[in-house]
Order: sequence, then structure tokens, then C-alpha cells
Amino acid sequence: MQYAAYVLIQLLVIIMLAPLLDGIIRKIKAFSQKRTGIPLLQVYYDLLKLLRKTSVVSEESTWVYKIAPYIVFSTSIAAALLVPVTTKIMPGTLPGDIILLISILGLGRFFTMLAALDTASMFGGMGSSREAMVSILIEPSVLVSLFMVGLISKSTSLPQIMQAMKGIGAPLTYPVFVMIFLAFLIIIIAESSRIPVDDPSTHLELTMVHEAMMLEYSGRHLAIMELGAMIKQLVLITLLVNILIPHDQLIAVTGIGALVVSIFIYVAKVITVTIIIAIAEVCTVKLRFFSIPNLATLSFILLFLGFLQYFILGGSNV
Amino acid sequence: MFSYFDVLSVQILFSSFILMANKRIKSYIKTFRIQSLLIALTAGAMGFSLEKGRIDLLVVCLLIIVLKVILIPNMLEKTYASVEYIVEKDFILNIPILVILSCALVVFSYFSVSTIEGINSGIINAQIVNSMSVILIGLFFMISRKKAIGQIVGFLVVENGLYVTALFSTHGLPFIVDLGVFIDVLTAVVIMGFMVFNISEKFDSIDIEKLNKLRG
Amino acid sequence: MEALSIRSMFQVSIMFYVIAAVISLVFIKKQRLCNTASNLICAAGSVFGMSASILKIFSEESLIAIHIFQSSIPFISADIKIDNLSAFFVLSLSILVFCVSLYSIGYISTYVGKRNVGLFNFLYSTFILSMFFVMTSGNAVFFLLAWEAMALISYFLVVYEGEYEENQAAGTLYIIMTHVGTVFLMIGLMLVFSHTKSFDIFGSSVGIPILAKNIIFILFLVGFGAKAGVIPLHIWLPYAHPAAPSNVSALMSGVMIKTAVYGIFRFIFFFLGAAHIWWGITIVILGVLSTVLGVAYAYIMSDMKKTLAYSSIENIGIIFIGLGVSFIALAQGNLMVGSLATVAALLHTFNHSLFKGSLFLGVGSIQYSTHTKNIEKLGGLIKKMPITALFVLGGAISISSIVPFNGFIGEWFVLQSLFANIVSGKAILNLLSIISAAALALAGALAIATFVKLYGISFLGLPRSEHALQAKEVPVIMNIGVGIPVVLCLIIGVFPMLLLRVADKVVFDLLGVSLFGQLKGGLMIVYHPLKIPGSVISPAAALIALTIIAVLAMLVIRVIGGKYIERRYGTWDCGFEALNSRMQYSGEAFSNPIKIVFRMLFRPSNELRAVGGSTYFPESLEYVTEFELIFEKYIYNPAVYLMQLFSNRAKVKIQAGSIHSYLIYIFVTLIVLMTYNRFA
Repeated sequence: MQYAAYVLIQLLVIIMLAPLLDGIIRKIKAFSQKRTGIPLLQVYYDLLKLLRKTSVVSEESTWVYKIAPYIVFSTSIAAALLVPVTTKIMPGTLPGDIILLISILGLGRFFTMLAALDTASMFGGMGSSREAMVSILIEPSVLVSLFMVGLISKSTSLPQIMQAMKGIGAPLTYPVFVMIFLAFLIIIIAESSRIPVDDPSTHLELTMVHEAMMLEYSGRHLAIMELGAMIKQLVLITLLVNILIPHDQLIAVTGIGALVVSIFIYVAKVITVTIIIAIAEVCTVKLRFFSIPNLATLSFILLFLGFLQYFILGGSNV
Repeated sequence: MFSYFDVLSVQILFSSFILMANKRIKSYIKTFRIQSLLIALTAGAMGFSLEKGRIDLLVVCLLIIVLKVILIPNMLEKTYASVEYIVEKDFILNIPILVILSCALVVFSYFSVSTIEGINSGIINAQIVNSMSVILIGLFFMISRKKAIGQIVGFLVVENGLYVTALFSTHGLPFIVDLGVFIDVLTAVVIMGFMVFNISEKFDSIDIEKLNKLRG
Repeated sequence: MEALSIRSMFQVSIMFYVIAAVISLVFIKKQRLCNTASNLICAAGSVFGMSASILKIFSEESLIAIHIFQSSIPFISADIKIDNLSAFFVLSLSILVFCVSLYSIGYISTYVGKRNVGLFNFLYSTFILSMFFVMTSGNAVFFLLAWEAMALISYFLVVYEGEYEENQAAGTLYIIMTHVGTVFLMIGLMLVFSHTKSFDIFGSSVGIPILAKNIIFILFLVGFGAKAGVIPLHIWLPYAHPAAPSNVSALMSGVMIKTAVYGIFRFIFFFLGAAHIWWGITIVILGVLSTVLGVAYAYIMSDMKKTLAYSSIENIGIIFIGLGVSFIALAQGNLMVGSLATVAALLHTFNHSLFKGSLFLGVGSIQYSTHTKNIEKLGGLIKKMPITALFVLGGAISISSIVPFNGFIGEWFVLQSLFANIVSGKAILNLLSIISAAALALAGALAIATFVKLYGISFLGLPRSEHALQAKEVPVIMNIGVGIPVVLCLIIGVFPMLLLRVADKVVFDLLGVSLFGQLKGGLMIVYHPLKIPGSVISPAAALIALTIIAVLAMLVIRVIGGKYIERRYGTWDCGFEALNSRMQYSGEAFSNPIKIVFRMLFRPSNELRAVGGSTYFPESLEYVTEFELIFEKYIYNPAVYLMQLFSNRAKVKIQAGSIHSYLIYIFVTLIVLMTYNRFA
């Protein structure tokens, strides 16, 4: 019963927090351009409005198009359940590890890409093909980064990884974790379709990746598709902050008070990383599409060097 | 067992990876500046942290900042500005492959260094492997670039690597040797800069492949 | 008593296959009857094979021996010996044979009246029989005979539609490569015999010196590698599989290439033992190469069956990674990691036969109703063939190793074994393991892209040609054949313990270690989450969670958003108002970014030609794009060229046409052999 309550809290925190991050990033971008920008909570209003609107569905589309949003949404949420957010949820609610996490996100991506092809639109195929390329290039980094933290804590299960990281103290003072941190930032940027890999605010066919796949969606389908993407981004950020910047309350929650503190610390950490991502977005331009391999290589090289330093040269430095 | 020398040596190694991934000649010079700054930091940190208090290392640190962070890069920039403005594709293979090959170089230097007796007891000294890799990557950088300035930067990186290796293995060479090496490097850069001028005047390009014409 | 009944069930199974072969020859004139009867009998035989092998695995009997034929001449006897490993492979064979046989009743009926269906059925049933014997033979000579029979019969099946020149070429390439492999195997087995004086597969390799063991290992690896289609010995596979009729491709890809995995298990793993770490390293490197390159080629192919064939190379690669890790771990004496990796290899072998079988059959259905396997001519099939579409989607998800299907389970075990190998490993091996893990991740993402392309371009969107427009749903019996493996994929994916218990028994037989031995109980055990040291997952819980979340989301959205109203309207066409099927992304375009990114590998070239009209106002444009297959171009073509050069020289110098010189060759050979005999 207690665990059920924790799961519920975790779900609420994730769903409520995810759109806020988009709001923050948009606000920072607006500030950097000397604009006031839309209100911080506009993303929520948009989503609510979209939910109530009529869906315009393509005549060519089939059931794949209609079930895809629900699958994408539920995979994002399931991924969120695998990652301890505010407290170390014991295995038993959703036993899973990093490999299952990657696979679940893969299920979501599979259906996003299929749904884009379903409407016979030229943009859909374009977005789907580009998404395929970006994901292919970034996937080795995703697995290796999670594998490395797993290896250091001798387990692939996320609660145990977080416990081991807390045992280390402040992971970010060690070179290997700094490299994982930087590589994971690149992963977050690539996986959640941000500048410099993809521009979330564009509708120009030359530059769209994720937006091109969403182009045919409208109404409630679009709303949950977007919310799913935001939650996926939050899950990735959560992975980063809760593994590499662990806090005490995360590991062992004993009561309501600690839980509230934990939620506050967690939200603060997530917002900090979001601001870093926003600043990165403000400072860089979108990469040429065929320069993305260089960025992906960079993240992989960071991890590879980290691996060399830690597992081959360093012995047991940590 | 946490050591900021580890962090520094990894960063020096990483900066040479960034150098390898750079596309433009201006960014070579910028990266070289950063790398030299990191080396100066390392020398300075070592000067402070060693028990006996090595004043000479602090002097070397200052020297590196003056020479390699300010003077030589500025000279290179001037040279570059006077010979060519056109940005061309300067590398022989595409960048991800160059970078992956550099990774292989790191692994290779690990295998080579791990057999040396006496440097390490049990675990291999990561810093020495990293600095050896910097030397190799510097050489590989010289091979991979076509323009003469690339060669100069590569040469300087090799020198950086040698210096860092000495720093990490024996906590710096005798001061007089360091001084000699720095003056050597400075002269070398001056001469090479002069040569680049000459090459560019003779061949209308600083592409070293054109030097093939020089054979008899 | 129990052993007796199991033995007789195996015998009945063999008998059924023989009867099927005979019947197809007897009723060769009555094609429809012959087809239905022989396929039904094969299916019945496979049911016996299935139940017998399951009973065998869970029985106490360690070895079941059947003597089919024994003669007084040494070595020439047909012994069947079935242990758990054989039973596991027979199980995988039988399940697929059951589905394929049902499918063939419908599929082969298109050939009735056009081709010799009786002959096909004869070949089909003997092909099954030969694979059965390969997996169960008790002595090496019988093994080689069955191996050779399997190669020859499958050759005839590949060239069954031999009027196309490309099919003949594919067949020739296949028979050459498979014989090269067989030669290596023969030499290896003879070397074994020269040291142990026995052809018994279950014998011991104690008497073989280390050098000879290493040589035998290399010979076996090349021999079995050529059959498995592991890169760089893969070149026959992408031609032979597409050339064969789809039901045969399903068997070839699902089971036949696995006989090589069986061979490695039997002759290297079981017989020679995991002696050296470098054996494992070699296998892992081959596996990594096959995994990445196989799926990369699969991604850019526009022939659906070629895509599937290359994806088989990828999956063989994954199996090899598992095998190699188990060799490495066992050579270091690490039984836990070794058994984990062995389970991984076994699971993936089994799973691959299911999903690849279903996909080949699904593509066969497409071919049946549209008469094309070119992805660029398809599209919109989901509306015409809804049931096939559903099943192929299942297969595609499964092969992309995504939850909740079984492809994920195998990959999970491979990754976990790599993980465990790093935790307990040495420096160089760690590097290999992490590179393998990265390669697996790359291959996983590529596989998702490949099967999104395969499914999305062919089933979704608008029909791209008349063929696709005319498509109709295939007969129910064919859908059953496609559907059974997909349903099994889902069941195993959700309740992996079902298969794991079987695989665990096999590993216990091989290594004496049981990963899941502590689990005892009835059917409830299938709900048990997968638990190994350091990790626990439960695919069933994941599936339940996904379903609950999706349903909850629907309910919540219904409450917030009110009643669902939808308006049907055309796809956005930029106001152009003439959206047609040619504006969709083509398969070629879909995979083009990756072709450009990995241009070192594919070396693509494209050309835009103007056809007709003037230069500036051509009547039509022709876009030609090509890529290179580097292994063919840089390894095999030069080798063939050298061979031809050598043969031409030989024709002039050695084989000059003079009888006398031939006699001298024979004479000299005899003298040399006799001299050798004197001094050896």
C-alpha cells in the first residue's frame, strides 16, 4: 500500500513536471532574445486545449496511427516507473533494469516512426528516416553510459545503481563521472530533439526531425504524443541527476517530511540541468544534419575514454 | 585515492581528441591554446603540491603561459592570416574515423606502456598512458592534415605530450633542460612560420602535398 | 519405460517424415492431394518430435540411442543419440516445421499445375529429415553424411525456381561455399580421428595435443562459420535465402543455419571443451562483425527477403557473441558467467528461429498475393491484408528485440553476460566486452530502423504499384502458419521462464551448473521474474504496466477531453491537392542517411540522368543509386580472379592434354605416397 502511494506520487511528479521543463527552456530562449516570451505555464494550457479539440485524422491512416500515441505515452510512463524519481522504489512494483528501460523506450520509438509512415505523407517518411539515423548514432552511447555506471556499482538495476552512487559520495569529482555526465548531456539533447540536433520549434522541412513525425497528429492524439515526448525527456534528465548527483533522501525515504524534501531537491536538480540544456540551446546553432555523427562520436569518445581511464588504466580508483 | 592530476591528464588527452576533430585551422590554434593552458595548470599544481616546493616548476608554468598560451598561438594566427583565408577540407579521412583511430592509439599506448617495468606497481599509471597517447595523437594529427600549419600544431602537440610525460613520470625535467626545450620550440616555430611564408609564395598554397614537386 | 516411449516417439517422428517423402513421390501426378497430404504428415511428425524432445529434456534419461542401421563395416552405421542439446535443437526444428508445413499447404498450391509439386514436397520432407539427423547423429561419419545431404537438398530447393538466372547463380554460390565449409569440417574430423581413433561424437578429446586442438578449432570454426553465414563467410546467404521459395527460406534461415550453431556446441564446446581464451575472443570478434555489418546491410536492402537474410547474419552474430563470451568465461573457470552466456546463445537460437520463421513466411504471404518482394512496389498492404499485417508487425517487434516479445529476452541475456564478464574480467577482455555491448546497441537501433522500414514502407501508406493495389488476404491456413510463431514469440517474451526452464536443463547437461535450479514448482513458475545476480526484470509486469497505463490514459483523457470527435481529411499535401503514392518516402530514401553516414562501408554512388527532351526540359529524370559490397569486391572477387588465373595457367602447363603426363602424375603421386609410408 505504501509502495502504491509512492508510485502514485512518482507518476504525478513526473507528469506535472515534464511540461514545465519545456516552459522553462522557452522562457530562457525568449529572454536571450530580449523577449518576454509566453507564460511559464503556457505548455500546460496548450496541452489541455489540445485534449479538448477535434482530432483531424488522415484518410489514409489506419489503426497504427491511432494506437501509436497511447503506446508512446505508456512507454514513457513505464520508463518513468523504472527510474526512481523521488524515492528508491523497491523492486516489486515494476522490476526492471537499464536494458529493459532502453528496450521500452525503443518500443515507443518504433511506434512513433511507424505512425509517421502510416499517413502516406512525405514529411512523415522524412522525419521517420531522420529519427532512425539520430537514434542509431546515439544508441551505443546510451547503452555504454548506463552500462558504465552499472559496472561501477556492479548491478544493472537502477535502485541499486543509485545506492552505490550515493556510497561514492560526490561522483562528479571523479573524471570518469564527469565524462559520463557530459556524454549524457549530449544523449539528452539528441534523444529529446533539441538544438543542435533537432529544432523543436521549427516547421521547416529542411530541419524538422521529431516535428516531422508529429505533423499529421492533431487534437488529443497530438497532446499525448507531445506529453509522451516531454516525459521521455524528463526521464532522461532524471537518470542523469539521480545517478550522478544523488541526494540522501532519494536512497531511503522514511516519512512524509523526507519525501517532500526529496521532491524539492529533485525538482531543483532537474531545473538546474534544464537550464544548462537551455543555455546550450541558446549558445549553439542547429548542426548540419550530416554533422550529427560528429556529435554522436564525441559522446561515444567521452565514454570510451572514461571507460579506459576507469576500467583499464585506473584499476579501482573510486 | 582521488587525484586532480588524473582529471588534468584526462583533460589534456581529451583536448588532443578535440584537436583531432577540429575542422578549421583557426580552431586548431584555439585548441592548442587550451591544451597548453591545461599543461601550465598541471605544472603549476605540481609545483605547489610537491613536498619540497619546486619553484622551478612554477617558473616553467609561467613560461608555458607566456610562450605556448600567448606567444606561439599569436604568431601562428598571424602567419595564417597572412597566407590564406580560404577554408578548405584539410583532412585526409573523415573526422569520426580519425577520432576512432585516435582511440585505437590510446589503447595501443596502453599496451605498449603496460609492459614497461618500474613505472607502475600493479596498476598502470593512467597519467603516463594518457600523455604517451598525446604524443601519438600529435604525430597522427600531423599525418592527417594537409596544410603546413596543421603540421606545426601537430609538432607542438607532440612537444606538449613529451613535456607532460616527463612531468608525470619524473615530476619535470631539470630546469635548464626545460628552458632549452622551450627556446628550441620557439625557434622552431619562428623558422617554420617563416618557411610557411616561403612555401606559400612559391606554390601559392600551403598544401604540403605540393612539396612533392621539389624532388629532383 | 519412459525412455522407451520417448524413443518410440522420436522413431514415429522420423517415420512420418519418411512417409511424407514417399507419399509425395507416389502421388506425384495428383499434385494438390500430394501437397496437402505430405505437408499434413510432416506437421504430424513434427508434433511427435516436439513432444518427444520436451519429454526428453525433462526426463531422467541422459542419452537416448536409436540404431537405424548398423553394418559390420566400421564407422558405417547410422546411430542416433539424443541428449538434451540435441533435443533442444530438435524442439526448435519441430516447432518451425509444424508452422511451415501448415503454411506450405496454402503457399505451394500456387505452384500446382505449373511446377513439379511432388518433387518439391519430396525435397522438403527429406530436407527436414536431414536436418533432424544432423542434430541427432551419434557418430561423426553419419553426421557428415547428413550434413552433406542437407547441403545438397537445400541446394535443389534454392534452385527450385531455376528458370531465373539469378537463382541459379545463387545456388551455385551456395553450393560452392557450403562445400568449402564441408571440406574444412572433414579435415577437422579426420584430425580428430587420427588422435582419438574414434568417430564417436560423445567421445573424449583428452588424447589430442594442444597444437592439434587449436588447428581443429580453426577448421571447425571455418567449417561451421561458412554454414552459419558469419561474416566474412556470409556471401552465399543473402543470395540463397531470397532465391528459395519462402517456406524453404524460413526453414533455412530459422533452422538450417542453426545446425552450424549446434555443430559448434557439439564439436567445439562439448567435444574439444573451452580450452583457450583466444577461441572465445575470435568467436566474439566474428560475432561483433556479423552483428553490425549484417544489420547495416539489411537496412539498405530494398528486396524484403534480402533484408531478412542479412538480418539472419546479424542474429547469428548475436548468438556468436553469446557463445564467445561463454568460451571466454569457461576458459577462465568462471562457471556463472559461462552458463549465463550459454543460456543467452541457446535462447537467441531458439527465439530467432521463431521470429525469423514467421517473418519469412509473412514476406512469403506478401509475395503470394502481390507477386513481388521489392519493397518499392508495395505499400498500403495493411488495408488489404489485415491479418498478415498484424502478425508481421509482431514478428518485426520481436526481431527488433523490444519488449514484450522474445527477441528482447535473448538480447537481455547476451548483454547481461557481457556485463557479468566485465565485472569479473581482465583489462583486454573488458575492452572487447564493452565494444561488443556498444555494437549490440548499435545493431539494436539499426534493427529497429530496418524493421520500421520493412513494415512501414510495405504495409503502411499508399500502394506504390498495381501489384500492391491488387493484393488480397491470403488463405487462412497460411495465416495460421505465420501466426503460431508470432504468438509463441509473445508468450515466451512475456513468460520467459517457460523457455528458460528448458534451456536451463540443457545448460545443466553441458556444464553441470544450473542458473535457475533453485526454482521449483508448477506452472506458477512462469510468472517468476527473471532474476540473476545483480539484476531482475519481469517482462510480464512491464506488459501489464504498459496496458494499465494505456487504459488509464484513455480514461483520464476521456474525462478531461470529453467525447472523442474525429474528422477525416486528406493528408497534408502543402496545399498541392494531388497527393499521390509517388510522393511518399521510398525505402531507398528512408535508409539513405545511414548510407551517407557510413559511406566508408557502403561507398554509395548516385547519378541523376535526364531522359529524352532537351537538356533543360527533359521528359523524365532517372535517378540511379548504387553501393558496393566490400567483402565481395575486395576479398572474394580478387580470390576468384586469382583462382581463375591459376586454373588457366594450370590448363596450359599441367593439364596439357597429354595422356602420358597424366600417367606420370599418378605414378609420381604413388611413389611419393609410398615413400612417405616408409618413413612416416
